[in-house]
Amino acid sequence: MFVLILSFALVAALLPGVASLLGRRVFYVAALVPTGAFIWGVWAYSQIATTGPLIEQAAWVPQLGLTLGLRFDGFAFLMLSLVAGIGVLVFVYAGSYFHTEPIIGRFAATLLLFAGSMLGLVLSDNLLALFMFWELTSITSYLLISIEDNKAAARTGALQALLMTGMGGLAMLGGFVLLGEAADTYSMAELLARPPSGSVVNVALLLVLIGAFTKSAQVPFHSWLPRAMNAPTPVSSYLHSATMVTAGVYLVARFTPAFAEYSLWRPLVITFGLTTMLLGAYRSLRQHDLKLLLAYGTISQLGLMMLLFGVGTKESIFAGCTLLLAHGIFKAALFMLVGIIDHQTHTRDLRVLGGLHTQWPVVAVTAGIVAASMAGIPPLFGFLAKEEALAALGETGFAWGALVLLGVVVGSSLTVAYSARFVWGAFGPRQVTMIRDQDYVGNEAVGEQAPKPSNMFLAPVFVLAALTVVFGVLPWLVDPMIARAYESLVGKSTDHHLALWHGFGQALALSAVAIGAGCALFWRRKRIEELQESMPRVPSAQRGYDRTVKGLLEVADAVTGFVQHGSLPIYLGVILLTMIVLPGVPLLRDSVMPDLWFADSPMQVVVGFIMVVCACAAAVARRRFAAVILVGAVGYGMAALFVMQGAPDLAITQLLIETLGVAVFVLAFRHLPADFVRPKLRGSQVARIAVAALAGLFIFGFTLFAIGARTEPSISGEYLDKAYSEGGGHNVVNVIVVDFRGFDTMGEIVMLAVAALGVAAIVRAKRAPTTAEAESSATEVEV
Amino acid sequence: MTQRRSVILDLCVQAEFHTLLLLSLYLLFAGHNQPGGGFAGGLVASCAFGLRFVAGGGQALSRSISIPPTTFLGVGMLFAILTGCVSLLSGHEFLESAILSVDLMVIGKVKTSSVLFFDIGVYLVVLGMSLLVLEQLGEADGSDPDEVQP
Amino acid sequence: MSVLSALIVAVLFAVGVYLLLQRTLSRIILGLALMGHSANLLLMVVGGRAGKAPIIGAFGPNDTVADPLPQALALTAIVISFGIIAFLLALAYRSWVLTENDEVEDDLEDARIAQLGEAEMRRWWRRSE
Repeated sequence: MFVLILSFALVAALLPGVASLLGRRVFYVAALVPTGAFIWGVWAYSQIATTGPLIEQAAWVPQLGLTLGLRFDGFAFLMLSLVAGIGVLVFVYAGSYFHTEPIIGRFAATLLLFAGSMLGLVLSDNLLALFMFWELTSITSYLLISIEDNKAAARTGALQALLMTGMGGLAMLGGFVLLGEAADTYSMAELLARPPSGSVVNVALLLVLIGAFTKSAQVPFHSWLPRAMNAPTPVSSYLHSATMVTAGVYLVARFTPAFAEYSLWRPLVITFGLTTMLLGAYRSLRQHDLKLLLAYGTISQLGLMMLLFGVGTKESIFAGCTLLLAHGIFKAALFMLVGIIDHQTHTRDLRVLGGLHTQWPVVAVTAGIVAASMAGIPPLFGFLAKEEALAALGETGFAWGALVLLGVVVGSSLTVAYSARFVWGAFGPRQVTMIRDQDYVGNEAVGEQAPKPSNMFLAPVFVLAALTVVFGVLPWLVDPMIARAYESLVGKSTDHHLALWHGFGQALALSAVAIGAGCALFWRRKRIEELQESMPRVPSAQRGYDRTVKGLLEVADAVTGFVQHGSLPIYLGVILLTMIVLPGVPLLRDSVMPDLWFADSPMQVVVGFIMVVCACAAAVARRRFAAVILVGAVGYGMAALFVMQGAPDLAITQLLIETLGVAVFVLAFRHLPADFVRPKLRGSQVARIAVAALAGLFIFGFTLFAIGARTEPSISGEYLDKAYSEGGGHNVVNVIVVDFRGFDTMGEIVMLAVAALGVAAIVRAKRAPTTAEAESSATEVEV
Repeated sequence: MTQRRSVILDLCVQAEFHTLLLLSLYLLFAGHNQPGGGFAGGLVASCAFGLRFVAGGGQALSRSISIPPTTFLGVGMLFAILTGCVSLLSGHEFLESAILSVDLMVIGKVKTSSVLFFDIGVYLVVLGMSLLVLEQLGEADGSDPDEVQP
Repeated sequence: MSVLSALIVAVLFAVGVYLLLQRTLSRIILGLALMGHSANLLLMVVGGRAGKAPIIGAFGPNDTVADPLPQALALTAIVISFGIIAFLLALAYRSWVLTENDEVEDDLEDARIAQLGEAEMRRWWRRSE
């Protein structure tokens, strides 16, 4: 499996180079990789029937005990067949969608990378690996949406998608870590087999759900999906309908069997799912752009899937798996159709389109079939999924089950209405009555002269349409696959089977009601539209996002402006005060006083007095050289103190350094004026003195505390013993410097060399010429 | 600076210069057993050159030593690193010392440690650094280098 | 331990901080030099009592020996602070050559950001009123 995922990345790395040779045929080369993945998946699927899930492990960061685990089971196969199967078709489709734009190499490579990441996501068993692949899909999605990087709308849409899914992913990571720590394992299989408990798990689940909701575009995190429609259509049909957006649903499906009984899981998922389903479908009825219509439709369907998995009964999970597959098939096909229309007629506005049914009758019929599948019309696959859903929700046995069922029926009728609106708008006669904008009045219906799309362009759509029919009529073809997916989620096998005809029952009646109501809604579409226009606009999530981003930037400006105002003394003052306050407070609280006496010797008093006086004099000196000499005197005092302390090496070094130091000071300062310039000071000297006094007080306390805090004898006893036997020297300090701690000294001399070279560079450096100067000197050369 | 040279200072410096250099070498080699070492030795040598510089300016400095200071830096670093690498190659830790015993016939047996070479490196780096700083800051005349016509 | 040593450390540090908070570049460097002294002395004082030099053969079995480890650390620190000061001096010299000015100016970029932030704050006030 590792090889499989890596092969996506490897081939992707080669594609941009190959693209210049092959042109758009590069997509057919790329399609080979998902084809291989699909074939592998079928082979592996035949294996797991006998052997159980396939597991592969590899050490990832062994130091941290991280293992990269991959796991292939029935549900993973369901997802893999979507990712790889639809992937193949999308690549074939992209081969006709693009001409020979320069971006196609980049596009094909990124799309393949996405496919590999998505595959990794559904195969990961390790939560952290899953997160990594999850973020990789977000990033590749960002790159794919903004692939036409000269379009501003594409860039902002891509950024919005990245910010929102990235934010959710971050929350999810937090949830994963909490869960992993609570369960003491990051393996998803182990975690779900023995779910941890406790209040921390509730928080963790909430965070995981935020991640799932943002990725699967649940209200109110849905606004990125319509904006992502600025991407080329192959991206929309692959990432933003069939695969990436179902990642959140995938996660909820995995987690539900283990966590459905937690107090917050079921109500939360169901509420969000139902709201999303209804709102998405309602908004879909208002769109004029075919792609946006489908995008809101996708949001609605994702809500339904979320709801089904969130309910978490056996029947509803089975229905969820069916809908996942059915939705992938019909929605990818519909997006491809929109892409074809856009490609041939250069518009996606259903108010302008008209007459395509006479131009492209076969395409129109195909579109009708696929849309009917979305609407849940028998005998198509979508109908089967809808039936399963309605039946499952009818027998939940929960008190609020009826309410949810009612909501789903309403949502289904809206779905029927927007499906009809899609077909009628795209392929029906031009709907002059719907046009309000002046621009379009008087124009001919676009589409009367539209060129016919090539067969290669249409082939993927035909394949998907055929699947949605075949799976509907012959459900036993997919039944074992869905049963296996169900089994790997719930852990038990099922005797439930997909069937076109379940007999007369509540589900069939509700289906009929939904279809009828949907047709009525479509019939009265003019009234509905007027009604929608007159309704007060609900606060849109898009505006919420815009406000949030704008607010964030404003706060950042204000905070940065407040913190970073440019005065060095204030910066230093803040740093110093922080240094004083943070360690100072605990220092006051629990300090241990050592034995104290005033001075070691009378000599120390004399030297100390001289040093203090010199230092204070240096602080107030007006003359530059006087200050330098006074600081030098302090240094000589240091040398004297070192002698008294019993450190002859230090004393010698200090003495020499001070001598040399004064010379260097003098050399550097000899060109500067003798007196310090008195710059106009902002802020009072009193504040400076106060900070300085506080710092001195703190250091005084700290010195006393540091001595009192010593509890262990110094390690240098060992040094004293070993200096001669191992270091071969009598001078212990020197042995430490060059031998025991030789690495420190090594670093030090490197630093000295760098400083010296730095001095040479700074003193000698020429100013970088301004552009004007550079130009003038260039002309001089020419002359 | 050259026009106001003090003869007495000049003479004193010439007398002291070699003594100081000798002292610096003593400090370097005795440092393992007595106070001193590479840092102190290097600094004494730097002071010797510093004196030369104070007495005679940049020309005196460059007359008394023809090797550019950066060479000292480089050779010093090389010494230090090679010492470390030798002990690494002979299967010890980086910079682990080995006690050497050299028989110098006439003078007698001299016992020393391999890290002496490391200390020589330190000596050279310190000296090179001081020389470079003195030379650069000493020759700087306070004028904008851009305005100096070549 | 002697209060006096701690006092010297504290005074050197306080004067160093005072000089560091000035706007004159050369005084800032002098302040740094004083703070370096203070830190070295702190290392020594905290390291233990005064005693005989840690040279084998220079002390008897019953003598107190000064701790060699802080000495080695301080030795390194002294030389490093010399390197740093030389570098800063070169900077100060350079600044003088280029601007004829020994003063640390407010950072222009930062000042612009501060203006932006103030404008933002003012807008907030207006909105909240």
